[in-house]
Amino acid sequence: MLPSSREKQILNPLTFLRCLGCSTINSRPFKEGDYVFGEVEEKCPKCGGDRMKIVGIYVKEPEQREGKKQKTL
Amino acid sequence: MSFPSGAAETLTLMQIAGREDLLSPIIQLLWILFLMLFILYPNFSQKLQLSYILRDLERKLYNLKRIREEVRSRTVETLRKYSEGNTDLERELDKMILSFAITPESMDPYGIVYKLEHIVNIWEDTFEENVRRLCPKAEEEKAKTLTNLVEVARGIDYLYRVVRHYYLLGKRTANIYIVLQIQMLMPQLMEIAEAYRQACYAFMQGQPVGDGVGALAAAKLVEGLEKKTYEVAKDTIVHELVMDGRNLFVLRAVGPGGAVGKPADGIIKIIEKEGDRVKAIVMVDAALKLEGEDTGKVVEGIGAAIGGIGVDKFKIEEIAKKYNIPLYALIIYESISEAITPMRESIAKAADEVVERVKNIIKDKVEEGFSVIVAGIGNTVGIGLS
Repeated sequence: MLPSSREKQILNPLTFLRCLGCSTINSRPFKEGDYVFGEVEEKCPKCGGDRMKIVGIYVKEPEQREGKKQKTL
Repeated sequence: MSFPSGAAETLTLMQIAGREDLLSPIIQLLWILFLMLFILYPNFSQKLQLSYILRDLERKLYNLKRIREEVRSRTVETLRKYSEGNTDLERELDKMILSFAITPESMDPYGIVYKLEHIVNIWEDTFEENVRRLCPKAEEEKAKTLTNLVEVARGIDYLYRVVRHYYLLGKRTANIYIVLQIQMLMPQLMEIAEAYRQACYAFMQGQPVGDGVGALAAAKLVEGLEKKTYEVAKDTIVHELVMDGRNLFVLRAVGPGGAVGKPADGIIKIIEKEGDRVKAIVMVDAALKLEGEDTGKVVEGIGAAIGGIGVDKFKIEEIAKKYNIPLYALIIYESISEAITPMRESIAKAADEVVERVKNIIKDKVEEGFSVIVAGIGNTVGIGLS
């Protein structure tokens, strides 16, 4: 049987990392083993530091336009 | 004027009922027969409707079955990664999926909450033990998340079996009222089934889910502050610290494995230790929004903000009443699907707003030198210690 049109794509969250050296926040797709407040060894694209802290893992939502917002009951 | 042989008869036939074609009387006859069907067989329209509903239900039931099979196969696949290899995982998973707990007799309701707690504790422990036995390679935190994954598989399986029951019962007894009720519920049930499908992937990989926002807010409240952290009840930790001259006890389930802990037991232990010094209990939890409300909206209220079967709620209310401690609640709106699927941006951002609101409540309601308990309720999958 073909998948129903109601069936949605699997939600893929982003992992937000803060560099422990320069405090810049970067994001990348979630990797198994990531968890909020966990520290990972990854290179900061700004300062080159190699330790980052995960500050958030969530699914990014598309920006809602003002006009669309006003139409909501 | 003369007609060729046979043409006169044809013309006569075509002129029946004053028409010039043969098709019209046939259609009229069929139409009369059709109307007679409704008169002689009054249930005909209902039977017609029943067959239409059954066809619609059957189609949705197939979709439900497909989701159930998908969740089941993903669960087996994930458990296999942490198993020894010689276990019949499918059979063992079936045993867990079909396991049940019998609720206590309520004819005499005295003490029923503690009886229910006892039964549920045994059931949960057995469930977790079975997952650990099946997946000896899984670490402590991973085993908890795998237990959640099996619970998701159990949830979708139960949903499928209930819908199938009503479909088959309605079909066998040709009872339109049975199938009508389940058909009316199907759109919501399919949404829940889709949420289970998404939840399966979230628990497979250990991603934070919407329900974890309470625990996330509690973690953010104490992030980067000097504190003492210890286990206060099963799977429940407390951060003890001083904030603006007040003693703060921030309680939540231990992470990053999927756990909800025993918040009531933790709160009771803290109050029994601190006694009258506790001047407020602030509870933070995700709550179901009404259709049309914004996801991630933070609302304040009074009472014990905690879901589940009611045991924790009862125990928290009881201890709060005994010591005359006010209960403040902060809830974050989300739908049932958002609660068990990967956390949305608006929910994650609401945790920051909750932190500010909790600080304001503490400043307004608790004087310096006294204690306050902040309980972040929810599943801690993907949320570590801050």
